[in-house]
Amino acid sequence: MTISVISYGIYIPFLRIKREEYISALGSCSAAFKEKAVMDIDEDTITMAVEAARDAVAGVDKSRIGVLALASTNFPYREKVAAGTVIEALGLSNNILTCQHGNSTLAGTEAILSAIGLLSLTDQKYALVVVADAPASGASVDMEHGFGAAACAFILAKDEPGLEFEGVYAYAAESMGIRYGLPGETDLRDIGVKTYSNLAYNDTVRASVRGLLDKLGRKPGDYRHVILHQYDAKDASGLAKKLGFGEEQINAGLVFAKLGDTGACSTLVGLCNVLDNASPGDNMIICSYGSGAGSHALSFKLTGQPPKPRNSLKSLLERKKYIGYVQYLKLKRNI
Amino acid sequence: MGAHISIPMYQRAVPQRYRLIGQRCLKCGRVNFPPKAVCKYCLTGSEFENVQLSGRGTIYSYTIIAGGGAPPEFAEDARCKGSYPVVLVELEEGPRIIAQLVNPPGEGISIGMPVEAVFRRIYEEEGVIRYGFKFRLV
Ligand SMILES: [Zn+2]
Repeated sequence: MTISVISYGIYIPFLRIKREEYISALGSCSAAFKEKAVMDIDEDTITMAVEAARDAVAGVDKSRIGVLALASTNFPYREKVAAGTVIEALGLSNNILTCQHGNSTLAGTEAILSAIGLLSLTDQKYALVVVADAPASGASVDMEHGFGAAACAFILAKDEPGLEFEGVYAYAAESMGIRYGLPGETDLRDIGVKTYSNLAYNDTVRASVRGLLDKLGRKPGDYRHVILHQYDAKDASGLAKKLGFGEEQINAGLVFAKLGDTGACSTLVGLCNVLDNASPGDNMIICSYGSGAGSHALSFKLTGQPPKPRNSLKSLLERKKYIGYVQYLKLKRNI
Repeated sequence: MGAHISIPMYQRAVPQRYRLIGQRCLKCGRVNFPPKAVCKYCLTGSEFENVQLSGRGTIYSYTIIAGGGAPPEFAEDARCKGSYPVVLVELEEGPRIIAQLVNPPGEGISIGMPVEAVFRRIYEEEGVIRYGFKFRLV
């Protein structure tokens, strides 16, 4: 049995803030994005999930969806089956298999892998994976400056042409990595040593990418695209180069400058940007990262025509309204 | 004045609030939204079939709610934005429904603008997020 992505949807909030707003308000900005998306006062990761998922399921027979896998590091409830809201909003069957991944930015690819596994437990043909994230911390924490928002959704199908899943390699070990959060605390923390965080990211992501290449008997040059988790503007492309990938393989998957840190969505929004411009035969390796720390490298190749999204990432990035820093703080309920 | 809707009452209306399920009157064929016990058009039909509304329509009328005029459940929106637009939308299937308009255009709203439904947080009460639909310009 093959599993392929046959359809996808993206959602980017309408509101944006430019990096200059931070600089004029605070005198500096800890993250090197150009602008990032901000959820409106009436949005959360579940409303974003529903919007992305509505686009992904358009044109798909919803009664044949047997799996719903959700992921976010910032669900609106600490305890609740969020899948129920998504099922009702989309009109999916109430009897499908669901799972919900969170707690680290690894959650996005965890949801994809879970969906692939759960598909073997259902007679239905399709799985819906929805990853919606907006990492959150109090605004007094420097790392918050980079936090953006986005959602993407994918329909995985048994035995249909599309973006075919070729394999995965995973790595997990003890390391605090880039950030962590404690129960009951609003602010995220880091250990405060930037070189340590970068090293942890590099080691963790490298282990899965190298492992997957070895497992599949391939070299970096065998791929059209590489998309690594982006928590800042430079580390993903720097690491990809160290791993032997060239700029033409790296660039299409870089989305940090336009969106900021989209957490569990990071590699998957990059993947959507690649798919928006893909041609039959293109292949790609994606690698997610979560502090704690773990990574998943997944390999895909496009068999047949690329799925056409209702809204491309490019068109969504053009629909926007800029806000100032004070409005930003109001939306984050900081003032 | 706020309109308190209990959690069980809200939950019963989830299909209409979350995904715009309306009902077609089996007697006159017109679509009721929100669902009614007796058809609001022929005033006699009481049997219906569920229909999935498209969520597409046009602005039939609109108003701007200024900060002080917002009901308490929308006070947070008003505090954040100063004011927000509420639109009367005529859906493709016929019914006219009232909801907020998100991302209002800088150049102003006008009658006849095409809109589509979006899924948003409407308000929060008793610690429960009440999700539902608003509209955005197409
Ligand atoms: Zn009637």
